[in-house]
Amino acid sequence: MISKKVCLLGGFAVGKTSLVARFVHGVFSEKYLTTIGVKIDKRSMTVDDDELDLVIWDIYGEDDYQRVRMSYLRGASGLLLVADGTRRDTLEVARALRLTARDHLGTIPSVLLVNKVDLRAAWEIGPEDLDVLREQGWRVFETSAKTGDGVEGAFAALARLLHEAR
Amino acid sequence: MSTPTAPADLDSGTDREFEELREILVGPERAALREVRARLDARLAAHDVAAVLPEAIAERGGDSRLVRALTPSVEEALLASARRDPRPLADALFPVLGPAIRNAITHALSALVESTGRVVEQSVSWRAIGWRLTAWRTGQPYAEVALLHTLLYQVEQVFLIHRETGLLLHHLTAPNTPGQSPDTVSAMLTAIRDFVSDSFGGTAEDAVDVLRVGNRTIFVEQGPLALLAAVVRGPAPPELRAAFQDALDTVHLQKMEALDRFDGDAAPFVSVRPVLEQCLRAQHHERAVARRGRRWLAALALLALAGSLWWGVSAWQRAQRDRLYLAALRAEPGLVVVSASRSGGRFVVGGLRDPLAVDPASLAAAAGMAAGEVEGRWTLYQALDPAIVLLRARGALAPPSGVSLTLRDGTLVAEGPADAAWIERAAQSAPLLAGVARFDPAPAAEAEGARLARAIEDRVVRFQRGTTLLIPGQDEVMRGWERDLAALDRVAAVTGRRRQVVITGHADSDGSPEANLPLSRLRAEFVRTRLLPGALAAIDVAIEGVGSAAPAVRGGTDADKARNRRVTLRVGPPAPAGPAR
Repeated sequence: MISKKVCLLGGFAVGKTSLVARFVHGVFSEKYLTTIGVKIDKRSMTVDDDELDLVIWDIYGEDDYQRVRMSYLRGASGLLLVADGTRRDTLEVARALRLTARDHLGTIPSVLLVNKVDLRAAWEIGPEDLDVLREQGWRVFETSAKTGDGVEGAFAALARLLHEAR
Repeated sequence: MSTPTAPADLDSGTDREFEELREILVGPERAALREVRARLDARLAAHDVAAVLPEAIAERGGDSRLVRALTPSVEEALLASARRDPRPLADALFPVLGPAIRNAITHALSALVESTGRVVEQSVSWRAIGWRLTAWRTGQPYAEVALLHTLLYQVEQVFLIHRETGLLLHHLTAPNTPGQSPDTVSAMLTAIRDFVSDSFGGTAEDAVDVLRVGNRTIFVEQGPLALLAAVVRGPAPPELRAAFQDALDTVHLQKMEALDRFDGDAAPFVSVRPVLEQCLRAQHHERAVARRGRRWLAALALLALAGSLWWGVSAWQRAQRDRLYLAALRAEPGLVVVSASRSGGRFVVGGLRDPLAVDPASLAAAAGMAAGEVEGRWTLYQALDPAIVLLRARGALAPPSGVSLTLRDGTLVAEGPADAAWIERAAQSAPLLAGVARFDPAPAAEAEGARLARAIEDRVVRFQRGTTLLIPGQDEVMRGWERDLAALDRVAAVTGRRRQVVITGHADSDGSPEANLPLSRLRAEFVRTRLLPGALAAIDVAIEGVGSAAPAVRGGTDADKARNRRVTLRVGPPAPAGPAR
C-alpha cells in the first residue's frame, strides 16, 4: 500500500471542496477549512493493480492572493490545481500557486482542474487558453463538481502520474 | 613560451647588459610566468595529494600526531557547522544521545518517585495498607503501585507519522478502543501542529507536543524524521512519555534509512510494530497487573469461599463423627470419658477403662472415623457397671453350663443347676469381686436340689422274694443314690435349707399284710444302712414300710410282684432357711 500526500490548491470559490466532496467520503467537517485552513480526506485508488491512497490536503485560500500556509505543502507528492472556468483570474491564481509550490517542493506531478464545466456557456476561459497551457506541459481537465463530470478522470490522472513517478 | 638564449661568444659584460635589457623588456612577464608555474605546481601537488590522501590517512591511522594535527581543524569545523545551523549535527547525534539522556532523566525521576514513595509509605491509611499488600504480593516497588492506583490511564492509539509528509507509517489501537481513519487523523495532526507553529511562531522543534481533549491527551513525540502520536485516556504519568520517546528513538535507529527515503510505502514500517506495541503493552502490562491482581484476588476469594465451605462441611462432619464416637464410648459400660479434643487432626480421647470393657478403638470405625484418626489415652480401673461386674464374675467364677449369673442390687445371683462344689467355690470367691456385695446361690442350689431329687426319686432297688436281700445287679442304683444324696447334702448345706429324705420299703401282694409291713420296713432299713452308714449334715432321713399298700404296678404276675418288691426314696422340699447343722 502506497500513500501519497496531495495538495488541493485553487483560488477563492473555485469549487475545490465540492470537488473533494465528489471524490471522497470525508470524515472531517468543512469547518476545519476556515479554522485551521486545511481539510484532509483520503481516497484509495487502484493504478495498474497497485493500491494507492491519496491523502488529500484541501488547503484553504483566504483570498485570491492565496496567502496559503506553505507549511501545509511540505512533503506533498502531487498537486491538484483548481480554476473556475467562469473566472479567468482563477487561472492566473492557479498558475501563481503552481509556481509557489514549485519554489517549495520542486517539480512534482500536478493536474489542473478547470471547474464548472456545467456552466460552459458562461466560461471566460476559452479552449485556446487551455491549449496553450497543455502546450506548456500542463495536464488540464474540465470538470464539474456539480455533475461530477471529469472529476474521477482528473484524480485518476494524478494518481497515475504519482504511480509513474515512483 | 620559450626563453631567448644568449649567444655563446658574448662576454660577461655583454651578458650583464643583455640580462638588464631582458629585465627591462620582459621582466614583468617573467615574474608572472614564475608565479603561474608555482601555482601550476601547487595545483598538481594537491591533485597528487588527493589521490593518496585516503591511503595515507589509513596508513597513519594509529599515529597520534595525525590526530593531534587534525583535532583543532575538526573541532573548528564542528563548531562552525553548529553555529551556522545546529540541526544537521543534532540530527546526526539524536539517535545516539536521545536515549542516553532520557535514560538518565528517567533514572533520576525514578529515584525521586521512589523517595516520594517512601514519604507516602509513612502515611498509614487503609488505601496505603492495601497498596502495600499489593506491592508485597506483586513484588513491585510500593511507589509504583501507589502511582498505578493514583493514575488510571490507557493508551488507546499510537500513530507513527512521517514528519515531512504527515503520512501514516504505522498505527496501533488498543483492544476495544475506536480508531477511525488513522491516515487522515495522522495528516490532520500534522496540519494542526503546522497551523499552531505558523500561527504562534517558534521553530519546528517547538511544535505542539500535547493536545488535550476532554479526558484524552494526545502526546506528539518528535524525532528528526518521524513523529509518534499517542492518544491517552486519563491522566498519563510522565514516564509514559519517556516510553513513547524511547519507542520513537528505536524506530529512528532501526529505520533511519527507510524514513529518509520514504516515498509513501509504509510496508517497511510493519516491522516496528513490536516497538510501538511497547507503548500499548507497557500500559496494558500495568493494567494487567491490576486486573491480574483483581483476578487473583477473586480467585483467592473463591478459593477461600470453597475452602471455608469445604472446611465447614468437613468440620461439621468431623464434629458429627466425634459426637457419634463419644456417644458410643459413653454408652459402653466400663468406659468413662474424661477428656476429648481435636489435636493435630486426631481426636484424642482420654479417661478410664475397665480391662473387660470393649476396646474403644473398635468403636471408631462404626462412628466413621478413619484409621488412625482416634487416639485413646486410657487409664485402667475396675468398673462397677453391672454388665462389667457380671463379666468379671463370669470370668472369675467360670459357672458351669446351664448356670446363669445376674446382678440384682449388688447381689450376684446364680441360677440353673450348679453342682455343690462350684456353689461352694463361688460362694467363697464371689463376694471378693469388685461390684459384688453378696452372692446368692439359692436358685442354683434349689435347681440342683430339684435335679438331684428327681434323680434320686427316679431310682428303685428291688428285692428277692420274701427277703431283704437285693436281687443281683442293684449296686449301680445304690452307688447313684449314694452319690446324689451326698451332693444333695452339700447343696442343702450351702443353702442352709435342710432336706428330708424318706426311704420307703415295699412288699409284693403275696403274704399277709402283717408280714409284709415289717418286711417292707426292713427293706427300707436295709437300704438306709447301706446308703447312710453315718448321718448326713443337712439331710434328715426317715424310713417307713408301707407293705403292699403302694404297689408300683397293679398285677398278679410274677414280674409285677418282682417290680413291687422294692425300696424307693422320696426327697422332701427344702426346709426354711436356717443354720446348717
